Amino acid sequence: MNHALELSDLKKSYGKAEIIRGVDLKIDKGERHAIIGPNGAGKSTLFNLITRRMAPTEGKVHLHGQDLHGFVPFKVNRMGLSRSFQISNIFPRLSVFENVRCALLYSMGFKYSFWTLVDRSKPLTEAADAIIEQINLTSRRDLPAGVLSYAEQRALEIGLTIAGGADVVMLDEPTAGMSNTETDYIVDLIRKVTIGKTLVMVEHDMGVVFGLADRISVLVYGQIVATGTPEEVRANPKVQEAYLGTAITAEH
Amino acid sequence: MDLILVNLIDGLVTGLLLFMLSAGLTLIFSMMGVLNFAHASFYMLGAYFGYQISQYMGFWMALLFAPIIVGIFGAGVERYGLRRVHQHGHVAELIFTFGLALLIEEAVQFFWGKSQVPFMVPEALDFALFSISGNAIPAYKVFMIFIAIGIFAGLLYVLTKTRIGMIIQAALSFPRTVEALGHNVPLIFMCVFGVGTALAAVAGVIAGPVLGTFPGMAFVLGSIVFVTIVIGGLGSLWGALFASLLIGWMTTFAASYNVGLADILTAIGISKPADMANSPWRDFWQITLSQIGPILPYLLMVLTLIFRPHGLFRKGGL
Amino acid sequence: MTGTTHSFSRPFGISLRTVMPWLVATIVLLLLPFVFSANSTITVMNQMAITIIFALAYNMLLGQGGMLSFGHAVFMGIGGVFAVHVMSYVEVSGAPLPLPLLPIFGGLAGLILACIIGSFSTRQAGTVFAMISLGVGELIAACSLIFVAFFGGETGVSADRTYGLPVFGVEFLRQSEVYYLIAGWLLLSVLLMYLYTRTPMGRMANAVRDNPERAEFLGYSARWVRFYSFIFSGFFAGIAGGLFALNYEIMTTENMSLVQSGKILLITFLGGMGFFVGPIIGAIVFTLLTTVLSRYTELGALYIGTIFVLTVMYCPRGLAGLLMMHEPAYRLGKLRLLITPYLKLVIPVTVAVLGSAAVFEMLFHVRHAPPGDHKMGLYGITFDSHSPVAWGVVIIVTLAAIAVTRALVPQINDAWHDANTVEGGAK
Repeated sequence: MNHALELSDLKKSYGKAEIIRGVDLKIDKGERHAIIGPNGAGKSTLFNLITRRMAPTEGKVHLHGQDLHGFVPFKVNRMGLSRSFQISNIFPRLSVFENVRCALLYSMGFKYSFWTLVDRSKPLTEAADAIIEQINLTSRRDLPAGVLSYAEQRALEIGLTIAGGADVVMLDEPTAGMSNTETDYIVDLIRKVTIGKTLVMVEHDMGVVFGLADRISVLVYGQIVATGTPEEVRANPKVQEAYLGTAITAEH
Repeated sequence: MDLILVNLIDGLVTGLLLFMLSAGLTLIFSMMGVLNFAHASFYMLGAYFGYQISQYMGFWMALLFAPIIVGIFGAGVERYGLRRVHQHGHVAELIFTFGLALLIEEAVQFFWGKSQVPFMVPEALDFALFSISGNAIPAYKVFMIFIAIGIFAGLLYVLTKTRIGMIIQAALSFPRTVEALGHNVPLIFMCVFGVGTALAAVAGVIAGPVLGTFPGMAFVLGSIVFVTIVIGGLGSLWGALFASLLIGWMTTFAASYNVGLADILTAIGISKPADMANSPWRDFWQITLSQIGPILPYLLMVLTLIFRPHGLFRKGGL
Repeated sequence: MTGTTHSFSRPFGISLRTVMPWLVATIVLLLLPFVFSANSTITVMNQMAITIIFALAYNMLLGQGGMLSFGHAVFMGIGGVFAVHVMSYVEVSGAPLPLPLLPIFGGLAGLILACIIGSFSTRQAGTVFAMISLGVGELIAACSLIFVAFFGGETGVSADRTYGLPVFGVEFLRQSEVYYLIAGWLLLSVLLMYLYTRTPMGRMANAVRDNPERAEFLGYSARWVRFYSFIFSGFFAGIAGGLFALNYEIMTTENMSLVQSGKILLITFLGGMGFFVGPIIGAIVFTLLTTVLSRYTELGALYIGTIFVLTVMYCPRGLAGLLMMHEPAYRLGKLRLLITPYLKLVIPVTVAVLGSAAVFEMLFHVRHAPPGDHKMGLYGITFDSHSPVAWGVVIIVTLAAIAVTRALVPQINDAWHDANTVEGGAK
């Protein structure tokens, strides 16, 4: 059976500095998987390796059984994998509506056409409005994305990530820098939009992780020290050691 | 053999002159991310101010004061112009320096007129130092070489052996960190810009008498300087030196050898068309090396950018 | 969004409101030669139209694509040179080519050249792209002097446009006939370029400009998006070149030079590169300025350079940006609050500008006029440029005008605040 995402002995070094030291991971279709770990463990680097923002020094990444060797980001995206960024990566000068519309263009078959007018396509407009409705930004529809509040930008970021209909969604610290209410709102949103999809998430907020994830992997110094359900991971002594025993117990 | 020696010296002079311009430019770019289109304009200002001062106080005073005046002006441009435009992004900065170059050229014409001004080699150096089989090598050219080498040595010393040099080198890569450590980075920027433009002015004062002091002199040299720093790698002083010398020798040698494409084509076995006047290929038969000499640097730059976008000396992206 | 697509006010789903600007433009273009009928004015209008097309083509790269090119004049140049050769061919062989179709050849030449150059230059944006464009531009411009057979060397290439197949009896001997041909192409080109911005490629060009990495993660290769922008920009620049060849019947190496590339950068930036109409405004204003200035002063280039630098420093969104700043006030319906303050500004600002210009003119005259020649004419008055009275008057008047302008600034600020806030101005 093909896993949605499979990492085999993935390694990444910069000269002598080994960031990722051999990661093996299998994620099933429809699974919600969180990757946690102390700062500097290499979580963002792992993300970048999977999404081909950078190439691994060794090892392989398989998406739906397809080896991603030599792929560039836009090819990976066309295969059904989409990601969000830790620092909001939207199009600040375009309106919220146009942001979402751009995210829909390729998947709705427009590709590189210069002979159709986007304004005249009802399906496109309706699909964009539907997503804006989902992320609750209808009141901000025509504002330039750059003037949105931080939480709204993060919501837009998620909207852009899922708009293309990707079935593997990767979110890089979606609740970073948010207050409790904002966090709850984003978690609800994530739950809503990832129904039936595979979700891979990097997170620091343990409350979010334990509430949302089916399985968790713990990344410490470029290696996965534990993988399993939230309960298994919580009880794992190696994990407790990595967090000095304080982080996990303090959240609850 | 002798022709080669003469060309070597001439190429060295051109290359070192180019280096004086590109050194400042590449430092300014790597520190502030600004490609200063007006850099050659400061070179021109140096020549003109040098001329004006030499009218009243002689060449040596001009060599001393013109760069200082231009350097102060350059620092002022950074402080009141560039800093203001910086917030609007890189494109705006580029366009600003571009407009500045235009303005300076017009201003120079405004004050000194459109034709060349008689900026002369000082009498003390106006003799032939030695000659190589009939070609006289003026003492002035040797003087130019020594000044340029002296400046390079001085720059290298300041940047690598002094404390301020260390700070500048650090600010070249991580201005924010340096600022967080308590150094006045805006002041450093202003000074680097001022010194860079002063350097260009020195080149102007020295080159003015030899290459001619006229309003188009900035334009003539301007794009070549860019080519030089791109080939050498933006931010690398050694790269600027290497590329400057390369281009200096390349253009000098190309100009003096009249090898034609015709010779090469005949050698491969392609015969000349009988009716030269009307053949559409006649240009290929008439191209000589001296004709394409001036465009060789551009060709080299485009090739460098395609195959090694970071230049010949630098690691990492542009 | 919902409702029928066909209704009385929206046939084919296009409303009158969207079509209005185009209708007005067409009518204006049709009537202009009747209002300004002198041949020299028509020539200026032709030049304006050609510049507008070129500037809009350039803005496809700069404003919409975020790509700064220093060598764009080569596309216009190649387009023009190719068009000239086509015209010569028609003259020699008698081929039945109606002149109105000529710009297409220019466009094709521009397109092909852009495909060749774009294949390697669009790999990266930013500084690398700018430098490659500079290098390639200089290379081609230099080639135009070397390859005399195609480019004509120093004297350029020329042809006669009247040999084309007459269209309804019109042989394009008169400037006004050429005007209508150019105006027709102007409308068509502007329409096409505008529609391009509303296509998926046009939208993605904006996206790639703002955030190329994000665009990649939406399934688009930033490189290909840039390539498309590049080749279409080259196409329309080639059309502008074809029209230029048609109008002036000669193309020289000057048309491909760095100077021309710099000029179009200036024009586009001055007009405002962030708005579609920006380059149009820039082209019109610039052409007017250069024409007027060259007639009255030798210092035209100096003034334009100054305006340019000042625009970059204080008004980086250009003239279009300046106009668009009034949009919030317009939406609130409060625009009329600004009329009186602006009117009050007109006289002091005009006097200040004219006075400063006078200072420059007098300085220039003092410095460069032949010795003994002290008379100069300015604004219709002849006077002695060395006379301290003249200097005194000019300086005092200028300083006074500047002082008055500064005094008015708080009033402008208040009016601006009133016009832009909901409660302001309610008296």
